[in-house]
Amino acid sequence: MDLETLLSYEWGTMAPEFIILGVATALSLLDLFMPKKVDRRILGWLGFTGILAAIVALVSLIGHDTTSILFDTFRLDGFAKAFKLILLAGAALVLLLAIDYEPKEGMKEYRGEFFYLFLTALLGAMMMSSSGDLITLFIGLELLSLSSYILAGMRKKNLQSNESAMKYVINGGISTAITLFGMSYVYGLTGTTNLKEMSLILGNIADPQHVYILGLAFFLIFIGLSFKIASAPFHMWAPDVYEGAPTPVTAFLSVVSKTAGFVILLRLLLAIFASVPVQGDGAEPLPLLLRMQDYLAFLAGATMIIGNVIALRQRNVKRLFAYSSIAHAGYILVALTTMSYFMFDAIWFYLLAYLFMNLGAFAILQLITSKTGSEDIGQFAGLYQRAPVLAVGMGIFILSLAGIPGTAGFIGKLNIFMGALIREPAHFVLVGIMIVMTVVSYVYYFGLFTQMFFRPAADDSKLKLSPGITTVVVICAAATVLFGIMPNLALDFFHQNFNGFSDFLQ
Amino acid sequence: MENAWLIPLFPLLSFLVLLLFGRKLKIASAYVGIILVLVSFVYSVIVLFERFTAPTHKAEAVWLSIGELQLTAGFEVNQLNALMLVLVSLVSLLVHIYSKGYMDGDERFPVFYAYLGLFTFSMLGLVMSPNLLQTYIFWELVGVGSFLLIGFYFYKESAKQAAKKAFIMTRIGDVGLFIGMILLFWQTGSFEYDEIFAAVGQGEVSEKWITLTAILIFIGAIGKSGQFPLHTWLPDAMEGPTPVSALIHAATMVAAGVYLVAATFPLFAASETALMTVAVIGAITAIFAASIGLVQTDIKRVLAFSTVSQLGYMMLALGSAGYVAGVFHLMTHAFFKALLFLAAGSVIHAVVTQDIEKMGGLWKKLRFTGPLFLIGTLAISGVPLFSGFFSKDEILMAAWAHGNYGLFWLAVIAAFFTAFYMFRLFFMVFSGESRSKMDNVHESPGVMIGPMIVLGVLAVVAGYVNTPWFGAFLGDWLTEGNPALGHGHVEGPAWIMFVATAVSLLGILLAWLMYSKKSLERDWLSSRAPISYNILVNKYFIDEFYKLSFVYAAKAISLFLKFIEIFLVEGIMKAIGGITQAFANTGSKLQNGQVQTYGTVAFVGLAVLLVIFALTGGYLQ
Repeated sequence: MDLETLLSYEWGTMAPEFIILGVATALSLLDLFMPKKVDRRILGWLGFTGILAAIVALVSLIGHDTTSILFDTFRLDGFAKAFKLILLAGAALVLLLAIDYEPKEGMKEYRGEFFYLFLTALLGAMMMSSSGDLITLFIGLELLSLSSYILAGMRKKNLQSNESAMKYVINGGISTAITLFGMSYVYGLTGTTNLKEMSLILGNIADPQHVYILGLAFFLIFIGLSFKIASAPFHMWAPDVYEGAPTPVTAFLSVVSKTAGFVILLRLLLAIFASVPVQGDGAEPLPLLLRMQDYLAFLAGATMIIGNVIALRQRNVKRLFAYSSIAHAGYILVALTTMSYFMFDAIWFYLLAYLFMNLGAFAILQLITSKTGSEDIGQFAGLYQRAPVLAVGMGIFILSLAGIPGTAGFIGKLNIFMGALIREPAHFVLVGIMIVMTVVSYVYYFGLFTQMFFRPAADDSKLKLSPGITTVVVICAAATVLFGIMPNLALDFFHQNFNGFSDFLQ
Repeated sequence: MENAWLIPLFPLLSFLVLLLFGRKLKIASAYVGIILVLVSFVYSVIVLFERFTAPTHKAEAVWLSIGELQLTAGFEVNQLNALMLVLVSLVSLLVHIYSKGYMDGDERFPVFYAYLGLFTFSMLGLVMSPNLLQTYIFWELVGVGSFLLIGFYFYKESAKQAAKKAFIMTRIGDVGLFIGMILLFWQTGSFEYDEIFAAVGQGEVSEKWITLTAILIFIGAIGKSGQFPLHTWLPDAMEGPTPVSALIHAATMVAAGVYLVAATFPLFAASETALMTVAVIGAITAIFAASIGLVQTDIKRVLAFSTVSQLGYMMLALGSAGYVAGVFHLMTHAFFKALLFLAAGSVIHAVVTQDIEKMGGLWKKLRFTGPLFLIGTLAISGVPLFSGFFSKDEILMAAWAHGNYGLFWLAVIAAFFTAFYMFRLFFMVFSGESRSKMDNVHESPGVMIGPMIVLGVLAVVAGYVNTPWFGAFLGDWLTEGNPALGHGHVEGPAWIMFVATAVSLLGILLAWLMYSKKSLERDWLSSRAPISYNILVNKYFIDEFYKLSFVYAAKAISLFLKFIEIFLVEGIMKAIGGITQAFANTGSKLQNGQVQTYGTVAFVGLAVLLVIFALTGGYLQ
């Protein structure tokens, strides 16, 4: 490739990524050369500004035509834009939490790393949503994963945090191996790593033996990636890692990293397996992906049941939220399983709602657990007496997570239900499981609710609010209610700007 | 009528203001709440009067578009909605005023009023919804309001448990409603009541689907209205403050189930099976709860079981195609039951106990509460000329006219029970002498008596809007222009009225003989020794006769039913809970912190899927 071709690319389409990359590099250099005594929080604010700038750059690109550069490895299509928006917004809120994070043993020496690792992880996630090639997809995935491994062990003097990072690395390694193994089959059959070409070649595949191998590849890739979204059977790391990791990192893993997991899953499944025709009993061949619906449904059901039921036993709030986040992955998998014509709307909206309700909850969780150092559910007792505004905020988030009407979480679940039932054949069993599990989830969500509102406070000291956490709580609560009452704000925006992802494989 | 959507917003405003500034307003929060609800009430009355002459008003806007689906939100003022608006805002207003006295001195006074505002908003929103989805949203919101208010005395463990139980039990019903709603959408392509009814009317939905969805919706109503077998939360909900019991667990929210069936009545009417289910569940609930009410000793629990039983009546009416009868009884019941609860609150306020074994002789001490409670008792017992008489009569007529003879007789027996236990309650509380030391018993302040007087008047006169003698004004108006709802008035044999009157008077007589006369006799005996042998034997004979034949039988029945309740209903609930817990325990144990286990689980999961894939030759379908 000569310089001329290189320069001829529309590099502007990568502006958000460049901004994040630049800021991350700048932060690491600054951290290196800044005097030791300077408070590193300023780096956090720089990073935050960087993310805001990236959001602005992305928004200005929204009207931009679908483009792909670098031999189709980097794509700017509706899908990429829509999900990058969620990733960036989530990362911005997480960074605010990170700036205010103050564990007992302190983290003065490595607070700088904390911030730029968030940015590199974010960069990985953004690359994943934009890549049109297995190689870039995988590199984005690894960039995200490696940064997350270090982040999980960021409390270097805390045993639990170390354990958490160790478990995360080992499980992550296993998952990567499985995913790559699956990808290698697909590469072997098509001879290319480019998703678009793959999809063209696979569209004409006729040999049933090849289709059979693709079926195996499907399972390998799906199970490998189920690690990232923390769904069954690769969910067991989540509670341990969530518990040990610093709270902002837990928030990051449960929201941004999970979103990225769904992004890569959607890209791969739809680009590769939706184009493989399988000759069924009927005259019309069906895509392989539709053939796999029953397996997906089984995994989605198992994920929902495991997440919600085991959550009942948890007294540690971070573990509780780990199981709750497993359950939510299950709900989104229901949308994926049913593949209705508004699957994208449903998943995108659910992830958006989940971003706000979960990050808001984590903000409050961080405030409360870091004050006492205990993560027992009893720490929430009497929150309403101690800090009514916080308790109301947490109340909103819990109601939304539980899917009570008037909140964004309800609309998210409603979209999924509608999607599952509107298609022939309707997925009654799956919807039934989802509804029953939602009821089960009321038990533990409302356990928290009871703690906050109906229990006397164990200690009456006032909670000191920091600006970062306050901002996050206010933004999240407002968004949760706003999208619950006027969901069309988000959905119209989605419909008008992303062409319904029709440019997915152009 | 175009601006009727403002009605629910005043209580919402009250909620928001009190939530934010309640601590500063302190006692003034009561006035904020009262004034804002008063505005709603006045406006509701205006809307009702407008609706007498104007046609139904409906306004909608697109609220949510998923894919190509467009869901709307808006409001509708039809006859039923207009009636419910007035009913809800009136009872809410009276409870707001009453609570000023009842909750006086409570440290969380503003919070209480804030919650009342939230509840009133949701309930008003519920009764104006033009589509199922919106109904469902407000349906859940009233549940949240009820949850907060039941658990208001959160320092009581029982209150906390009751709040949680109420929330989760009603949620089980809501699941039914939700599925029914989604299925209806799937079948008809709309959540709008009008469009659903139109589709049903034109036969676009098969009989099977109509029955299924109607029954699913009815399951939602079962949960909300405390019908058998999801009724156990309602008596426990009495842990909430008494004004709340009057507003939520007697007059409005629990009636939402009945309202829902009424609002979707054309759907039910299209399926005989669905109607039958509603009628049978209603009748079972009516007799079941009434028989349990016979042996309760907590004043609020007696009223709670009577509420369950009366709601059963309404369901029986609707299930017997008696749309008018159901709605009519919903209205009269709201008045006399709210009255009874408020009066009970006044009694509790005076004697600081809920145990009727410890009460007695309060008639002389509570000059206002006593007569008002009597009015409520007469009305609920179906004594002629009181409101309950007319509406209960209408229900019995409907059941008979629809050919549900078995259920009709069950309802008659339940009416007998009702008259008996309500007067047992009345005599034990008000007549005779106090059975425990009561100092400082005083009548409640004017702010509490005032609302009770209003309700007392309504409990007497509300029945006259729909009588066999002066014309069925309510019925004609409710069914006007909507043939699917049936006739304004159901004709039935005249003897039904006499039977109803007879059983109610018989119940009262029996209660009087057993709980009032007996104590009188003791006085009489101690003052005058010589008494006629015959009379004594007769007296003895009657007492013994009733004791043997009736009380024991009733006790046995109610013990048996209680047994069913404890071992069957709760047992099933416990079993489900136990299985879930066991699974949770196993799951937690598997989570042993060993990273190799986690990897193994993932591998095993993958292997199992691959094996299934290989064995089935690739595809399950």
